[in-house]
Parts: sequence; C-alpha cells; structure tokens
Amino acid sequence: MYIMDVKWNNTSYIDLQNIINISRGNQDRILKYLNQFKELIPERMGYLKMSLKNGDRIMIRQILHKMSPQLQFFGIKDITTPIQRMEFEYQTMPIKELEALVNEIIAKLEGAVAEVSKIIDSNFE
Amino acid sequence: MNSLSQTKNKIRCLIIDDDPFIQDLLEDKLSQYFQEIQILAVASSGNEGIEKITTLQPDLIFLDVEMSDMTGFEMLSRLDDITFKTIFITSYNHYAIKAIRFNALDYLLKPFDLEELKNAIKRYKKYKKRQGHFDNVPLALSNLRSKDISSQILTLKTQQGVLQLKLKDIIYLEGDGNYSNIHLTKNKKELISKTLSDLEELLDDKGFFRCHKSYLINKSHIASNPKSFSVTLSDNVTIPISRRKKEAFKIWFNQSF
Repeated sequence: MYIMDVKWNNTSYIDLQNIINISRGNQDRILKYLNQFKELIPERMGYLKMSLKNGDRIMIRQILHKMSPQLQFFGIKDITTPIQRMEFEYQTMPIKELEALVNEIIAKLEGAVAEVSKIIDSNFE
Repeated sequence: MNSLSQTKNKIRCLIIDDDPFIQDLLEDKLSQYFQEIQILAVASSGNEGIEKITTLQPDLIFLDVEMSDMTGFEMLSRLDDITFKTIFITSYNHYAIKAIRFNALDYLLKPFDLEELKNAIKRYKKYKKRQGHFDNVPLALSNLRSKDISSQILTLKTQQGVLQLKLKDIIYLEGDGNYSNIHLTKNKKELISKTLSDLEELLDDKGFFRCHKSYLINKSHIASNPKSFSVTLSDNVTIPISRRKKEAFKIWFNQSF
C-alpha cells in the first residue's frame, strides 16, 4: 500500500500531516503512531474523567500536560488554548469552569479517537 | 572510514521520558535526520534513566522535565557526577521553563520542531569542540536547592560567552531598546543584548520589580523608604516609579521574600 492510498485528508478533528512527514511514506510507522494514539488517549481520557470526578486538579493538569504534545502532533484543532489555560489556572479556576473545560477537551478527544480508529479500520485492516 | 571509527565518532545519546509517544517521536526524528547520533537506549522513568546513565555513560541526554517518578532536575541531582550534556524536553509553557531559562539551560519543546532540534544538536557540537567547556547544569541544581534567593546565580548567554551574576550583586537593570544595562555592586556594569522584558520574566519572582518602563530594581538594594514616585538604591542612584506602577510597587515593597 502506498501513502497516497491512505485517506487521511477527510478528517475534521485531526490533521495527519505531521505523521505523514515523520513516517516518510512508511506504512508501518504511520500505523504505529495511529495505534499509539488509539491506545494512549482513551487510557488518559479515563484517568482524566476519574480525576475530574475526584476534583483532583493537580492530576488533571498533569494528564493534560502529558497528552498535549501528542495532541499537537495530531493537529487537534482548538485544543491548545484550553490546555494552556489549565497549565496556569488549574489551581485558581472555579470548579464549574474547570469541569466545563475538561469536558470540552474530552469531547474533542473522543471525536479524534473515533476518527483515528476509522482510518486504521479503512486503510490498514 | 570503517564502521568502528564511524561508531566511535558518533554522539552517544539517551532519551529519558515516560511518554511512549515522545520516545518514539524523538527516536524517529533523531535516527532519520541525524546520522551522527547513536541512540544507546530509551529510559521510561527517572530511576531507569539513572541506571542507564551509569551503565552506558552517554555524551548527551534528552531529559523530560516532568516524569511520573521524579522531575528531570531531581534525577540529575541524584547522580554523583554529570559527565554528559543535557537537553531538557518539555511541553510549552511549563512552569519549569522559567527555571530552565534562568539557568540558560538547553531545552526543546515537544513535539520537536526539526529546525530547533537541528540547532540543539549544532549547539551540542559547538559545546563539545570547546575544551574546558562550561556546563551550567551543576549550577542550576545548586540554584534550585538554594533557599536563599539572593545567593542564586543568573546565567546569561552573551556573544562573548556566558555571564554569571549573583542576584545579590545586581542593584538594578536599565532597558535600552533591545539591550539592557545591568548595574552591579562595586560600580560595575554589564551591557547585554536582552530586552528589559526578557529579564523581568526571569527575575520577577526573585525580588525584582519593574517600577518603570526602563527600570527593574532589586528589593534587597533599596536603601531607604521609597518616596511616592522614586526610590533610592544602595549605589545612591534614584530610580523613578511610574504613576501606573505606584500601587503595585507598594504591594510588592510590603511583601516579604
């Protein structure tokens, strides 16, 4: 399979340009990054939901901080600003606002994971 | 050149980060774009990093600032000897960036812009060429351990090399466009190519205050009770306090450090 075969440009949550660049057309590498996203992000989303339930602000910041390079790499739109806000305001932000912000991030991540799964299913399996 | 000497000339490096995505990404970028780099190993925690450093003796490490078992700084402070160069890796806007900049340490932002990675490797090679090179990691660790802010040392990279200034020796800083004059005790002065805003960013939590668009003053050098719109420092120089900063100055002046 060639890189051109991968239908990667009909996406609304993610942008796979960075993966295409780093993989240099190597399908195994593309799949490695996609699979990693599909595994790591839902796991971290689970921790995020649990931390939100426990009102653990420090953990929320840490999880988002850890995820942010991968999310940037996957070109997830409009997610950088809320994560940056969390980096600095996680201790002071009113809890309702924090919940709304985290839920907004989770919703985007769910969309992104679904899109990545679809790409894997339709191009690699 | 035979393969043995090729390997001998390579920069032997370690990646220490607890995120599998970052490990893979950095490994891919380094192996694809930098033939001169040999990746000895990848460590997933601070403890594993210490073990790998001790056994493999790398030339260069890429070290995550915030790992689950310890910070990158903690990991370094647990080593008996630092014989390698460190490039810190962190996400944007992490609070540790301030400490990294204060100590003029080398760092890269995840997920790694290729040009920045190239520049970091270039800087490493330059550093390696210089014999009797300067490594600021031990000083950074000492600064981080120090409870007394005034005994900390600010490191600034200049065109001439590296300038290190004890905070207690800095009386005030004066902005001059893209340059700043640093006024020191014993009538000394240093001109550096950083804006006053750059320096304010490094010093605003270390007892310094921007009381005027052109001045940043050190609280420990305030000689007498400030007047409404001016303050006299230990070298008898009187610095203006701008009308806009008057209230903030009052609050800062009454705070203890």
